[in-house]
Amino acid sequence: MTALTLEALTKSFQRTGKVVDSIDLKIDEGEFFTLLGPSGCGKSTTLRMIAGFEEPTSGRILFDNIDVTYDPPNRRNIGFVFQNYALFPHLSVGSNVGFGLQVRKIPAKETRERVEAALHEVQLAGLGEARVDQLSGGQQQRVALARALVIRPKLLLLDEPLSNLDAKLREETRAALRLLHQSTRVTTVYVTHDQDEAMAMSNRIAVLHRGKIHQVGTPEDIYERPATRFVADFIGRNNILDATIQAVSGQSVVIRFPDGTDLTLDDHHRAAGIELAPGARVGVCLRAESLQLAGENGIFSGVVTDVEYCGPVRSCIVKTSFAQLRVEVPSSAARPVTGQTVRLSIVPAAVHLVGLS
Amino acid sequence: MKNALRKRSGSIAVVAVLAIVLWGYVVGPLAATFQQSMIGNGGGLAEYSKFFAFRSGALGESMLGSLMISFLSVITSGVTGVFLAVLLKRWQFPLRQVCQVLVLVPIALPPLMGVQAFVLLYGIGGTFPQLLGDLFRMNPSRFALDGISGVLLVHTLTMYPYFYLTVAAALEHADDSLEEAAYSLGASKLQTWSRILLPMLTPAIVAGALLTFMSSMSSYTAPLLFHVDKVMTQQIVIAKLNGQLGLASVVSVTLALISIIFLILLRSYERRSVYATLSKGGARKRREITSGLWRTVLVLVACISTIFLILPIAMIFLLAFSVDGSWRTSPLPSQYTTRNFVELFTDPASWAAVTTSLEMSAIAVGGAILLGLASAYVMARMQFRGKTVLDIAIMLPWALPGTVVAINLITAFANPSPFALGQVLVGTFAIVPLAYFVRFSPIVFRSTAASLAQLDIGIEEAARSLGAGWWYAFRRVVLPLLYRGVAAGALLAFVDGVGEFVATILLYTPQYRPLSIAINDELYYANYGTAASFGVIQVLLVLVVLIYMRRLDDRERTRATLLS
Repeated sequence: MTALTLEALTKSFQRTGKVVDSIDLKIDEGEFFTLLGPSGCGKSTTLRMIAGFEEPTSGRILFDNIDVTYDPPNRRNIGFVFQNYALFPHLSVGSNVGFGLQVRKIPAKETRERVEAALHEVQLAGLGEARVDQLSGGQQQRVALARALVIRPKLLLLDEPLSNLDAKLREETRAALRLLHQSTRVTTVYVTHDQDEAMAMSNRIAVLHRGKIHQVGTPEDIYERPATRFVADFIGRNNILDATIQAVSGQSVVIRFPDGTDLTLDDHHRAAGIELAPGARVGVCLRAESLQLAGENGIFSGVVTDVEYCGPVRSCIVKTSFAQLRVEVPSSAARPVTGQTVRLSIVPAAVHLVGLS
Repeated sequence: MKNALRKRSGSIAVVAVLAIVLWGYVVGPLAATFQQSMIGNGGGLAEYSKFFAFRSGALGESMLGSLMISFLSVITSGVTGVFLAVLLKRWQFPLRQVCQVLVLVPIALPPLMGVQAFVLLYGIGGTFPQLLGDLFRMNPSRFALDGISGVLLVHTLTMYPYFYLTVAAALEHADDSLEEAAYSLGASKLQTWSRILLPMLTPAIVAGALLTFMSSMSSYTAPLLFHVDKVMTQQIVIAKLNGQLGLASVVSVTLALISIIFLILLRSYERRSVYATLSKGGARKRREITSGLWRTVLVLVACISTIFLILPIAMIFLLAFSVDGSWRTSPLPSQYTTRNFVELFTDPASWAAVTTSLEMSAIAVGGAILLGLASAYVMARMQFRGKTVLDIAIMLPWALPGTVVAINLITAFANPSPFALGQVLVGTFAIVPLAYFVRFSPIVFRSTAASLAQLDIGIEEAARSLGAGWWYAFRRVVLPLLYRGVAAGALLAFVDGVGEFVATILLYTPQYRPLSIAINDELYYANYGTAASFGVIQVLLVLVVLIYMRRLDDRERTRATLLS
């Protein structure tokens, strides 16, 4: 069942113009859905419109097929977790968590029990009397989460909730959030610019760029089959090369790179709407990990200009006659050095064609 | 759509109410004064052109006089304030912290009695001229300050806090590493000062200069007591006392225009942010002085300046214990008593003055809290056309000299007015609290706005997302968090009201005599002891409020409020 529907949702600001440009989305009951994109892509504005903090310029927002577009936030039964947590500084941890229950005039006894249970769930049992400024950043984040969940919201909305945590805590909290979602099954909309976060937690992801949705899909879809050149570029470490379609025959396509090298591919390794006609120009995504150093039989040759050791892999920049390629090789496999001439081979199954722009 | 409509009509209603109140008591009365200046006795369009005959005629001379005094006040206060800020914020020396607290004491100087203390210290027949006259065996009046030099001394020693507070804040926020970076790049001490430190202090100095200029233009008591009548505020009162309300209005309107120009300058300057420090953290360390001689000099300079600054307040306290009429030809009063304070609390007329002032001020502050809070919230949280105009209208009475506010209210409420429920207010009790309300609402506004600016809008949104309606969120979350800002502004407005003299002298009715008028009456009969005992009450009131504001522990807001 559809829990949240966005119809042609648009938001313009006087100064910046259209920040969200006619977005359509359907999010299912119980889904963990992520809005992913670089800063300024409109993801936070979209979330704030869902919450009711911003009024759309046009379009509609439906909760369970009921129009809430112009309802104030307090009538929407949502839980919202802010990037800076927005805890009430004058209230104790327990009163922060209990605020929404008090507003709903839940009896004091039940409020106490539910607050305790919520604090227990986020591993803060016994801290109800503490002041919020006595807590660490990670603990404050969990208070914010407990406060949003204790009201049993229809929708849980999270606006970059992990971005103020350090790297290790971020990963722990990521796992905790996933577990929490599995136990509560609350429909969740999560906003982030961090693709790892999005991949790790989401059932589905929408990639936004300049106020438009470029792709909606599972993490695998987004990673392996980017719909546009922007998605290909934004997700993972992709090399995107320009090439021309040389020939199309049955199930296979021959593309030619600027240096004259030809490569034969299966025709389904492409984004929807890519025209497969001889002479058409396309973008070719080669993931850094799908390129390999290959003694004599590689198809490109180039010079290693830089090597970064990243633990499991070595990340190299290889300069060929027409492009700079990022290549990741397992650290155990090879030990390329700067200045070395290498040949590169490609796994054809890992190649994906996208449009030019 | 229905909800959207309701939300929008709610905002429109709030803005409309604010606009009506501001029109009724601030902008409308100013417009009434303008109308009066055209048709009233001694007014007329031709009068305005007389301002530009600078050297002939009272109007031209008074404008030139006001501008010149203001300009000189900016320079003298600027030098004093910047000097003290650099002295106390950049070097570490014994007694520094004591001096740092004491240099702010002149903020507690009451308006009328404070200026009188200057006269008694430095004016004709005052303490210093007499001491110096004895010392050099010359006529004491040769050492006495009178006229413009006296006014400048008062302005300097009462307005330097505008520079001191802003520059001290800038120096506290300045990052040591910027200076170190300049040195590391080979800059000399002089180059570092002229190329790095002074440009960083510029916004603070400009803000201080604008504030000082505006205050000097408004200054009424100092010219009055040092016998300078060629300034605009004096001309307004003189014309009013001569029954030429038209002429008084002409001067008022011109002075108001000058104030408005400076207000707009200041507001646009404030909006441009002070250089935000890009670098992070790191407490500023003050230069430890190692050389013994240099250290002695610093301590001496700091102590002497501080003593000089607190002398007028000390004078008020001393006078308060002197017998009325006991001061004739000695440097200081010769007979002392505690009777003044006993009488203050037992004499019905004296005590009535205190309670009248407290009552008037309390009524005014009640209104100021409502207006200040509502307008601060509207300005911070709502977007609408004409917002800049509303901002200027809110701050306008703060920029207007008290004399002008009084003239505005006289012209607007001399006849029955819908904003006075069809009553004539001139000559009643209500006109004085109304003037305080108009004058001091901006203080509550500024203090509340400073608190609101620090309040993350997410806090309010969080409450709303948890199901709280607007009013519930405002009451349970916003108001408790704004409480300190509102309280600080309201208290400051309250003590300002208790001491107010400039507008009061034009508006009061003898039946309801507030404190400042009682002081004025006592001074008229040279009853310095009684007058000073009233002054001590004012000083103590201000000090209590200042200490309480420090306890509220928000230095940014304290600063913003004190600068208003």
